[in-house]
Amino acid sequence: MAHHNFDRFAAGPLWHNGPTPGGIYNFPGRQVEDSGRFQERSKQPITTGTSVIAFKYDNGVEKGVAIAADMLGSYGSLARFRDCRRLCKVNNQIIVGAGGDYADFQYVQSMIEQKTIDDECLDDGFSMKPRAIYTWLTNILYNRRSKMDPFWNNFIVAGMQDGEPYLGSIDKLGTAYEDNIIGTGLGMQLGVPLIREAIERKPLMSKAEAQQLLVHTMEVLFYRDARSFPKYQLGFITPDGVTISDPLYLDNQKWGFALYKK
Amino acid sequence: MAVVEPFAGSRPMEANRFSPYSDNGGTVVAIAGEDFSVIGSDTRLTVGYAINTREQSKLFRLSDKTVLGSCGCWCDVLTLTRVLTARLQMYNHEHQKVMSTPAVAQLLSTMLYYKRFFPYYVSNILAGLDAEGKGAVYHYDPVGHYERNHYYAGGASSALLQPFLDNQVGLKNMTNATKEPITRERAVAIIKDAFISAAEREIHTGDAVMISIIDKNGIKEERFSLRKD
Amino acid sequence: MFLTRSEYDRGVNTFSPEGRLFQVEYAIEAIKLGSTAIGICTPEGVVLAVEKRITSPLMEPSTIEKIVEVDKHIGCAVSGLIADSRTMVDRARMECQNHWFSYNEKMSVESVAQAVSNLAIQFGDSDEDGGAMSRPFGVAILFAGCDEKGPQLFHMDPSGTFVQFDAKAIGSGSEGAQQSLQEQYHKSMTLKEALTASLTILKQVMEEKLSSTNVEVVTVTPEKFFHMYSKEEVEEVIKDIS
Repeated sequence: MAHHNFDRFAAGPLWHNGPTPGGIYNFPGRQVEDSGRFQERSKQPITTGTSVIAFKYDNGVEKGVAIAADMLGSYGSLARFRDCRRLCKVNNQIIVGAGGDYADFQYVQSMIEQKTIDDECLDDGFSMKPRAIYTWLTNILYNRRSKMDPFWNNFIVAGMQDGEPYLGSIDKLGTAYEDNIIGTGLGMQLGVPLIREAIERKPLMSKAEAQQLLVHTMEVLFYRDARSFPKYQLGFITPDGVTISDPLYLDNQKWGFALYKK
Repeated sequence: MAVVEPFAGSRPMEANRFSPYSDNGGTVVAIAGEDFSVIGSDTRLTVGYAINTREQSKLFRLSDKTVLGSCGCWCDVLTLTRVLTARLQMYNHEHQKVMSTPAVAQLLSTMLYYKRFFPYYVSNILAGLDAEGKGAVYHYDPVGHYERNHYYAGGASSALLQPFLDNQVGLKNMTNATKEPITRERAVAIIKDAFISAAEREIHTGDAVMISIIDKNGIKEERFSLRKD
Repeated sequence: MFLTRSEYDRGVNTFSPEGRLFQVEYAIEAIKLGSTAIGICTPEGVVLAVEKRITSPLMEPSTIEKIVEVDKHIGCAVSGLIADSRTMVDRARMECQNHWFSYNEKMSVESVAQAVSNLAIQFGDSDEDGGAMSRPFGVAILFAGCDEKGPQLFHMDPSGTFVQFDAKAIGSGSEGAQQSLQEQYHKSMTLKEALTASLTILKQVMEEKLSSTNVEVVTVTPEKFFHMYSKEEVEEVIKDIS
């Protein structure tokens, strides 16, 4: 850029070795806190969970939401933690499932638990509804992303809202939407089409059928998702309340399709 | 000027830097007539090549005379429309009247400009009736510049649809075209055609169109299916 | 009675046992020392007329400003402690501009009155960063304006209470003037009739002789908005009154 040359002919700056007007300046002798590097921490996830999948079912007799997540905490490509519960019961009508950074999830979980405690202390017979948690989480996540310090998670809020199944999803930016079938991560690419097809074939599903479909989807996800694990949990929200299963295992794995299987 | 990385992926930390924005696709089209406005949006919400949901309308009814169509970074859309709705409610209480479309238009502009240095990454189109009952369409850039038009296309397929509207609604580059006011039926038909064509060529647009027709009797809503692939 | 008053009139936020705020009532009394101002609202527009008290022949009458423009479409007449009124007029002007900036439309007369009322009742409030006024404002204001509801006149007193009027008088001569307004006002008054009526009544209640130097006249109409009458225009109106 030629016009830079004219600087040589121009007058020198008013002063040297001083603070630049409008610039950030660290005075010597003071311990400079390297806040910049610490802020970097949340710019990438460390221990992560993979997909969560969930869908609504209703056959006129039985209705509710089915949700599932495996129990692996990955450390990059290392399968490091094998007992990470990623479904959490909020109250008798809500389950929140989480993927992404596990530490961030635990932090948010403690916030949710505190909210639930506050709610119960009121002792007014009312409890938070799923859409309230969904909206609240959306605001929490959006505020953190606006501070450039996001909670690196995908959340799925599943529950019963005024007697009807409810399902919503929020990502780390605060991108939120509701739908009948929701998956995060590879669950969105692989799981959702599988579930959609099954529901199109049989729109009126019982809880048992929903469970079967969910287990099948978890199995397929385990085959193709390198960050997944055969140990998982299922959750159900029905008008009768919330259940989260003990850890389950994907037995009867069929690896027949693998070409070099011995 | 684009920075050329000599070894792409050699700095995984840098490559994975957090961005507060995402492009969630979506298209909004609006046409103003003499005494009505029509605005439509598709219902597909995407992230990259993945579809989040096929049932997310991007139209927000602000009053009986005003509808906002908003797409781009969905988390910003959600926040912007929620704050806007709250501002409208406060105006209702403070001034004991419903905000007019031109007033909403100005308010939206100031709200966008107040985030000039951390903008809402949103493309907005506002449709409704003005104080005289005439059809009005306003469109915005993300930091609050706005303009009143007779028709406009915004969002993922805007570059595809704007020339089409210029020709079919604005009657640009037409020989022997007689300029007469557009009818409601034709406006709706053009919007449907526009979305059908956009869904053919643009992957972030599809699934269905939600159409709102605004006139002095209120707002009528219509749904129209698009291809889902 | 005197005893109770002297006990309960110290704090601006202390009610007397009868449920009165004496400082506010004293402030309302202060208005009655102010010069008379009259407002008349007609279907054609609003008239504001005030007397200027020229207390010395060496005084420059044009520097007494008791009717001011708030926005193109709103004017207000004040009576009482004029210095206090400057603060309130400032707020009114600011709110109008702010409203225009946010919504690209004229602020309604009622909303301006509401906004100024919010300022008027802030007396006695205080927080960490200081407080608002320590006492009530000692002014009454007539807001005259034309918005989408047409010509309107609002009156506000130091308590922040504001009420819409067809015709209203404030200041020292207000009692007599209000009586005369009640007799002369009718719904189909023309602007010209209102102008003559306002000056006729002003003439009756003023101590000095009414002339073009010691009155201020403003009309606010849907066509010309705020219009301050020149000396010549005032003389033209005075000619018509006996």
